[in-house]
Amino acid sequence: MSRLFLLFFLFITACGPLEEVFVEEDLLQRPQAKRCADCHAEIFKEWEKSRHAVAWKSEGFKRESENYTKTKCLSCHAPHQVDPQKKPALRVEFKEDGVSCVACHFKEETKAMHGPLEVWSPPHPSKRDLSYVKSGFCAGCHQETYKEWKMAKVEKSCQDCHMQSLGKRDLIQKFPFYYFHRAKPRHSHEFVSLIASAKDVRVSFKEGTLQVENVGVPHNLPTADQGDPRLYLIAKIRYVDGKTKSVRRVFSPQAGNPLPYKTPLSISIPNAEGVSFIEIKILRRLAWKKEKELILSKKIHAKSLYSQNGKRDLGGSQRAGRDIKR
Amino acid sequence: MRKGLFIILAGLLAGYLSFASENIVLKKTPKSLDNYYPPKSKKWEFLSKMYNMSTYFYGINLNINNEDWDNALKWAKKLKEEYVSTSKMVPEWKEYFKPELAERLVKAVESKNVDNVLQASRKLGQTCAKCHADNEITVKLVYHFPSFENIKIEDPIEFMEMETGKYMKKMTNSMKALKIYLMQGDADNARQSGEEFVERARALKGMCSKCHTSKTSIEAITGKEYLNSLENLTQALSADKLDNEKIFKALGSVGMTCAKCHNVHLIPAMVQERLKK
Repeated sequence: MSRLFLLFFLFITACGPLEEVFVEEDLLQRPQAKRCADCHAEIFKEWEKSRHAVAWKSEGFKRESENYTKTKCLSCHAPHQVDPQKKPALRVEFKEDGVSCVACHFKEETKAMHGPLEVWSPPHPSKRDLSYVKSGFCAGCHQETYKEWKMAKVEKSCQDCHMQSLGKRDLIQKFPFYYFHRAKPRHSHEFVSLIASAKDVRVSFKEGTLQVENVGVPHNLPTADQGDPRLYLIAKIRYVDGKTKSVRRVFSPQAGNPLPYKTPLSISIPNAEGVSFIEIKILRRLAWKKEKELILSKKIHAKSLYSQNGKRDLGGSQRAGRDIKR
Repeated sequence: MRKGLFIILAGLLAGYLSFASENIVLKKTPKSLDNYYPPKSKKWEFLSKMYNMSTYFYGINLNINNEDWDNALKWAKKLKEEYVSTSKMVPEWKEYFKPELAERLVKAVESKNVDNVLQASRKLGQTCAKCHADNEITVKLVYHFPSFENIKIEDPIEFMEMETGKYMKKMTNSMKALKIYLMQGDADNARQSGEEFVERARALKGMCSKCHTSKTSIEAITGKEYLNSLENLTQALSADKLDNEKIFKALGSVGMTCAKCHNVHLIPAMVQERLKK
């Protein structure tokens, strides 16, 4: 096999212009995503599972865009060409592919497929482009989330979390061509919507208020430009006299009250002096789902906040925080 | 001469668009018109036809004023073609259209006789005016204002999705409860109702994005000013001793936003609702 590879390599390097012989012209004519799957089968399968793949054809988008009549929404759901920090234009062909392979990788200016890796790809010209590993690449469509991420001042990019590393893998799966390629660092094209965990949301009871803080997700929680995801907080308060009370809140980007990164939000608790414990539940609902998913469930005891004579002993917020038991 | 003719024709056009009566009767829109407006169609075909005919009509006037009868005839023929095709779009409105009058206008332009053109224009224009008088307002109300009918809003207190009307009632009931408890001197219940009102009023902002894709238009009504009013109310409610005057003042400030939004949306929504019944 290595001899075959060597022969092929010599053949190609000796006859430079012959490389053009291998160009598959239709790849430069903005094909459907499934055409890319002829070689990039694994990447295609990942993308098929993503929200990008259904950005146009999902029932939710069809409904929310009022049967595609809200023209302002359309271009990000079927972009012609995705460029860093630039709102794309609406694609004319194969809109049902949503945020497709060519939308992100094919550039009209160079008539080449762009991506973060240096690759040798005879069927189509390729260009290395490091903008693909930077958050700015996503900013053309995810404008609000990008602004929030910038405010968070963290090093992790969008891709670091939402295009997780898969280690070194083959970029193509087509026989026999994969023999001529080396495995390259690959990142998932599922564009996962991660779920915040109990570590990401800090809830504490300080100075008579419930404090909720997004400490782990470097953008608003939840975040969206036009979508309507929600975060639900249910606090069941138990008082020392046995009475109970429930406090509920919904956090949503469209209502203008999501949880920004590292900015605590205070919710006043009625009759805070008499609180025995608070059971907290935080759930989320993604914009395209009906069901809620549990993020956090904890019980905060408030007994130790009070001195023996029953009066509140607020030895500063640090003290209060330390005394809270899970 | 040209100027005079133009004034007469402009007057005619204005005339067929206006109507005067002691009672304004709103007729329901025919079902088949749905085919030419969102959400069924995104092309607004019927409206485009109206704009086209209006432009072609003016094409005749403009060219006659310029004594360019050849071009006037071209526009007259286009107008006839568009008029005839429009007459077939909504069967329920077939009677409004008189294709023979469009043909008469073409003939009048062919004769290059200004009086004939004026007369034929007036006759044809009257068919437009009759239909507009009967239907224009309702068409605009039904198709140009997005309906609140399909908008659901999730109650932040009960976590249940409900229609806009039901939600508004729930929210205003929280506000009324706040006022009642305040006046009864029941601070705890006033606080709870007030907090529920604030949460419901805050969640209302999320409803705007169901139709408005521009943040600027959302901010114009439920922007900083609105959120500050809600924050002031929250502050007033969290005081150890409730200050009724302060709370009522904060409520008044929130109410300004309610009025702004209602003035823009509520009236067309109410008429629309009646028309759809």
